[in-house]
Amino acid sequence: MENRYFLDRFKVTVPQLDSLIGTALAHGGDYADLYFEHTAYNDLLLKDNEVASGGFHIDSGVGIRVLKGDKTGYAYSESTEMPDMTCAAKAAAQIAMAGGLPADYRHAVSTGLPAPDLYPAARNWKDCPASGFIPVLKKLESIIYSKEPKVVKVIAKLSWSESEILMYNSSGELACDFRPMGSIVASVIFSWNGKNENKTASRSFRMGAEMITDRLMDEIAEEAVAGIDDRFRAIRPKGGKMPVVMGAGASGILLHEAMGHSFEADFNRKGQSIFSGMTGKKICDSSISIVDDGTIRYNRGSCNYDDEGIRGQKTYMVKDGILVSYLHDRISARFYGLQPTGNGRRESFRFNPIPRMRATYMENGNALKSDLIASVKKGIYVDEFSNGQVKIGEGDFTFYVKSGCLIENGRLTAPVKDLNIIGNGPRTLADIVGVGNDLAIDNGTWTCGKDQSVPVSCGIPSVLVKSLTVGGN
Amino acid sequence: MERNITGLISESEKELAEYCMESALGHGAAQVRISLSKSILDSVGMLNGEVDKVAHSADRSVFLYVFADGRYGTFSTNRLDKAELARFAANAVDTVKMLAEDPFRQLPDPARTEKGAVTGRELGLYDSSYEYMTAGKRMEIARDECISGKTGDGKDYRIISEECEYSDSTDDNLVLDSSGFYGRHTETSFAVCSEITIEDKGGRKYSGYWWDSSPFIDGLDRMACSEAALDRAIRQMNPRNRKGGKYRMVVDASVSSRLVSPVISALNAASIQQESSFLKDSLGKRIFGDGLSIIDCARTPGKPGARLFDTEGVATRDCEVIRGGAVKMYFTNTYIARKMGMEPTVEGVSRPVLVPFSCKKGCGEDSGVQFNAGRIMKECGSGIYVTGFNGGNCNQTTGDFSYGIEGFAFRDGQILHPVREMVITGNMVGLWNSLLFAGNDARPCTRWQIPSLCFDEVDFSS
Repeated sequence: MENRYFLDRFKVTVPQLDSLIGTALAHGGDYADLYFEHTAYNDLLLKDNEVASGGFHIDSGVGIRVLKGDKTGYAYSESTEMPDMTCAAKAAAQIAMAGGLPADYRHAVSTGLPAPDLYPAARNWKDCPASGFIPVLKKLESIIYSKEPKVVKVIAKLSWSESEILMYNSSGELACDFRPMGSIVASVIFSWNGKNENKTASRSFRMGAEMITDRLMDEIAEEAVAGIDDRFRAIRPKGGKMPVVMGAGASGILLHEAMGHSFEADFNRKGQSIFSGMTGKKICDSSISIVDDGTIRYNRGSCNYDDEGIRGQKTYMVKDGILVSYLHDRISARFYGLQPTGNGRRESFRFNPIPRMRATYMENGNALKSDLIASVKKGIYVDEFSNGQVKIGEGDFTFYVKSGCLIENGRLTAPVKDLNIIGNGPRTLADIVGVGNDLAIDNGTWTCGKDQSVPVSCGIPSVLVKSLTVGGN
Repeated sequence: MERNITGLISESEKELAEYCMESALGHGAAQVRISLSKSILDSVGMLNGEVDKVAHSADRSVFLYVFADGRYGTFSTNRLDKAELARFAANAVDTVKMLAEDPFRQLPDPARTEKGAVTGRELGLYDSSYEYMTAGKRMEIARDECISGKTGDGKDYRIISEECEYSDSTDDNLVLDSSGFYGRHTETSFAVCSEITIEDKGGRKYSGYWWDSSPFIDGLDRMACSEAALDRAIRQMNPRNRKGGKYRMVVDASVSSRLVSPVISALNAASIQQESSFLKDSLGKRIFGDGLSIIDCARTPGKPGARLFDTEGVATRDCEVIRGGAVKMYFTNTYIARKMGMEPTVEGVSRPVLVPFSCKKGCGEDSGVQFNAGRIMKECGSGIYVTGFNGGNCNQTTGDFSYGIEGFAFRDGQILHPVREMVITGNMVGLWNSLLFAGNDARPCTRWQIPSLCFDEVDFSS
């Protein structure tokens, strides 16, 4: 879409944007930016065999940020009328009244290049009547029931949104983005011998309505019922320290929690991260490279531009075992004298951007998954997760395992479930002793909640960590 | 009835809400509920004693709940232009009409809705001194909170960073429905928080976090926040590994609600109806140990979480949720009640209060003295004192849980050393059947009034 479209959408002109920037910088701010957003979100929910609830939600406004040195003034307006936006600009401008040394925020961003187009929508969601998606959910439910007799309840939700974004800053840079997102989640309750169990499967893409295909429904249904017999038989193992083989795909949560957050440059700039001051140092085996990538086509974490108007990029955090880059927004990039890496992201116009991950994954190694498992005498294999957390300073992280298996004498044996695993980021990186050749990106509805919620994804090949603490009896 | 509107929501905005409701009804809705919310939040963040971030936000939203042709949908917008609202309401009704029929959806019986929430200030949760807050005062409070002058020189640690924030906010919510319900709730909130990272001489980092909040500026304990955060960081220095096994577990009042929330969630009738609750078929039955009693004190004036009506407009009441381990109620909204043929209650908990308990007669729980984590540790001898949770989850369908913890080993009531990388694992029903003590030290600033707790024979992995 042309920039003209976005200016019209928010009923503003470039001279008006310049006027707002002028107001925002009136007290001596070094840099100011405007972030206009209009998001239309829709959902449909299937429950008790019917799509009997749904709705739409409209959120629109402009966020105005002023930087003075490393300090931030932020305010927003839900109206894009000039008087309301001017009030917000004046509120954000106050930060400069606290004083401080001037700073240069003129980053050498890649203006003049053609706009990236990582998620072209073949069928815009807004052009598709919601009623057309009701059979989709019914079909998904029907496939799930057909695959597994233990299913007693299916809740299926289809949600979609389209965000129109316009960004403008005091360097005169204008960037616009149209961001579609579609997500399907199936939560299934199973019953067997008087016991209930649950499983959830999801897919989410920055795509238009063309993402809805029979193949996708079948894939979600298959994942939603896979391994349910094991889930009913699963045990709580004896807890303690043990080797853990992380299955390809969703195990990428290990990278997100154990390393990714600690590589976010705001924590490092403030000296809070366990990885502070370690760029250029070897932190793990040279077979390991870890990437945060905003350029994967249709990926949930991808951005044509980040929320500071910086083009989407692929950023190596660890290359051949060496910590080569943190994840930067404009503030941290200026602090370190570097270029931003396109990681300045935000939940909505209500929030100021901060360094956030996009799609975080480890590149392939050479090992076979079967060899990694075979090398473990006593440990566990894990492949399905729900949530995780990290303590940035200490580097202690956890993630919650929904399902996996014991490994005994190199073979997968009894299924396990509902375990928390805990470790320490740098130590765990150093303890990765085998990297598989089966990298998979997990396309579930991963959302990162560092103060604000943003869509992300993660991936990893199968890896063997020689020691992690596993919860158990 | 006099409806004195003196909050964030103006008379003209109230009329807009009514107009939106009438538009939906005029377009074919049978029943409508509308919720108009406005809020303002200001915050000042400090980094190492200097102002780091100043933020101001003003939010507004209209939520529209439409019941049309036996169908139901939920819609929202933050665009309050009159013409746009009319289109919004019409589109909402059209959208609802394409959904499947659901005969159980309807507004609550008017006899059950609250009649006394007229000004929004009936519960005394609004502090008028909020109106006199200025940017300068906020800055002053935030600066007062900082302790960055204390560098730790001469000590066995140094402060790496101190982040603290002061914020205040006011919220105004007006709910109307087409059956005549009118309810308003207004409150203020003042909060401080602080996170301090320190480094020991070996280069290891430790962080401590503390916070306080109150509906009233005078109720805010703002000066002690960074001190508490620093103390929590220092206390974590030099952790040792503790062998896994079964230990008595004392959980500090600042984090104990983490173990209560899965129980409250499982009492939601929507989860029961979907067979995704481990407390299915438990109503009226003794499921937990007789030491567990939880009361919902929804209508206590001036206390965080108090409210006169729930999101449906149904009048809250003070009621027993669990008494002596027996489940006394499910949280059942109008829809689920009709669907399951049950009596409706309220759609969720407001201000749960866990009643003090001691497995030793005459010890602590009703003696009028402070019965806190320290006292509980003395009573129960040795074990692990949990002061924080690091990740983890509870499977709501089975009640199985596994959480990372941080805290301290203690013996004979005395703290020995910090522990790290430990995980507790178990089942919620089993855990709450092993309750030995519940203190009387719930933090006044929290909506969930959960004191320090002690459980027997908890599985720790390390």
